[in-house]
Amino acid sequence: MVLSRNKLYSILIMACVAGYIWVCYNMVNKQSVLEPVEVCFIKYFTNIPCPSCGSTRAILSLTKGNFNDAFSINPIGFLVAFIMLFSPLWILLDVVAKKNTLFAFYQNLETYLRRPKIAIPLLIIIMINWIWNINKGL
Amino acid sequence: MEAQKVDMFIMSNSKFFESHQINGIRERLIAIDDSKWAMISTIQLKDPTTSLIVSILAGSLGIDRFMLGDTGLGIGKLLTCGGLGIWTIVDWFSIQKATREKNMQKIQQFLY
Repeated sequence: MVLSRNKLYSILIMACVAGYIWVCYNMVNKQSVLEPVEVCFIKYFTNIPCPSCGSTRAILSLTKGNFNDAFSINPIGFLVAFIMLFSPLWILLDVVAKKNTLFAFYQNLETYLRRPKIAIPLLIIIMINWIWNINKGL
Repeated sequence: MEAQKVDMFIMSNSKFFESHQINGIRERLIAIDDSKWAMISTIQLKDPTTSLIVSILAGSLGIDRFMLGDTGLGIGKLLTCGGLGIWTIVDWFSIQKATREKNMQKIQQFLY
């Protein structure tokens, strides 16, 4: 896919809207926090949690201010919450000012993350987090 | 370039491109200089079928997107359990087209 500025922004906005709807849905349905609706394919088919399983629960505890709980459920929740909070603001700023700072940042980040020095440590962190997830039995 | 060479290239590589792009590639290849043949014939193109297999098996981890070089989208898929499972299913159907577009981008560097 040839990613243009508007395409990236619409994908991000759509993802954020879907994320907010999903979090709100889980907040309203209190029972589903105890027995979460399983949307994750890997967990559904193999019963093994995927690297990002539990980030919904982590974000839900973040909204209640339980930072320690959120970290012990899944640290990826912090990253997702950060992106969900700040990317709509950045996009709004860009659209109002008719600039493409976020798109430029995204492209720089992509080339930066592709460097083996950065990519391999990040991969190892994700793997460690995944092993931790499996041990916790999310 | 010679039409025979170009036709051979098109025949052996047509599955890597969208059908509507093939005619344009052919005309462009005939028009360009013969010295570029060595580079064009050795381009590493990504197989859409491989992408589809990876997408079905490991799509919810975003590995199909990482493979294509869309690192940002791959991270997006990885962090959200494959977009809550929806993006994974969408990509099962769109990853082949995305791969062909990536191949087109790659060959365009040499065509123009």
